[in-house]
Amino acid sequence: MLSSFLLRGCTAKHYIQALSSTRLCIDCCTIRRLATSSSQQFLRRTTQRLLNQSRGAKTHKRKHQSQADDWKKKNKTILTYIAAAGVGMIGMSYAAVPLYRLYCQATGLGGAAVAGHDTEQVATMKPVRDRIIKVTFNADTHASIQWNFRPQQSEIYVVPGETALAFYRARNPTDKPVIGISTYNVVPFEAGQYFNKIQCFCFEEQRLNPHEEVDMPVFFYIDPEFDEDPRMARVDTITLSYTFFEAKEGQHLPLPGYS
Amino acid sequence: MSTAMNFGSKTFRPRPPDKGAFPLDHFGECKSFKEVYMQCLRNNHFDNSRCRIESKEYLECRMDRQLMTKEPLEKLGFNDLTEDLSEENEARS
Repeated sequence: MLSSFLLRGCTAKHYIQALSSTRLCIDCCTIRRLATSSSQQFLRRTTQRLLNQSRGAKTHKRKHQSQADDWKKKNKTILTYIAAAGVGMIGMSYAAVPLYRLYCQATGLGGAAVAGHDTEQVATMKPVRDRIIKVTFNADTHASIQWNFRPQQSEIYVVPGETALAFYRARNPTDKPVIGISTYNVVPFEAGQYFNKIQCFCFEEQRLNPHEEVDMPVFFYIDPEFDEDPRMARVDTITLSYTFFEAKEGQHLPLPGYS
Repeated sequence: MSTAMNFGSKTFRPRPPDKGAFPLDHFGECKSFKEVYMQCLRNNHFDNSRCRIESKEYLECRMDRQLMTKEPLEKLGFNDLTEDLSEENEARS
């Protein structure tokens, strides 16, 4: 029962479908027939137009591509330039430290030791006879060190460009050996750069045995350029001051000027 | 220490001398030369220029006794003394 009904339904459906499809087909055909004439003409035109268009597009595309290549090349060169500039900047920033040091050494800026102010100068410098400078001496000891430390002359008259010798005396009055270390200062400060020591007892540890007394020489000279510096025009007294500190084991004083 | 970076004004920074430190004369080997030099200074109103021979002799004493590195005296600023030593002696006497 069910199957017969289904069959009937199916056939009916098919029939309807077939009918509609034929009708559709007819419709299609009529439309096609109508359309072909116009469409052929249209096709011909459009193909020609398309051909023409495609030809133009090809040349246009070629132009576009070459321009893009150009830009690519340009971009590449610009990028390399920028990269080179960046690398150069980094290099320059690293080179800045030694370069600035060189500059400071050449000009003596910021209190940097001027290269060439060393022993070579001593052999060739000429004394400036008409400029007599009074060098006074001062001695100090830190509270922790029990030395008797004093200069043996209160002053010396020196001319720039002439080496001079001065003496200090240190005595250890205690019953045990004491190691001392000294540093110096020059007043006025601006004169300090002209006050050159060839040899002294500073910056090195000195050991004095119990009740020992020693002479400590300072061998120095004043740079002949002292006479040419306008800021030194009114300086006729330079004070050299030494201070002794007790050197304790395990303590290392930083060397001044190298910090 | 003030580290103001002013152009033209140099700040003072103590720096160790070129030749380091004198070793201590523990036995007073050159004490007599020092006494002569100090006496000379006192006699000449502490004018260093007149006692250069004495200071040179003191340094030579130190060099001879290995209390100082041996060096030609010209490098210590005594080239005027080594050149015309006799002349200066005549002038002094």
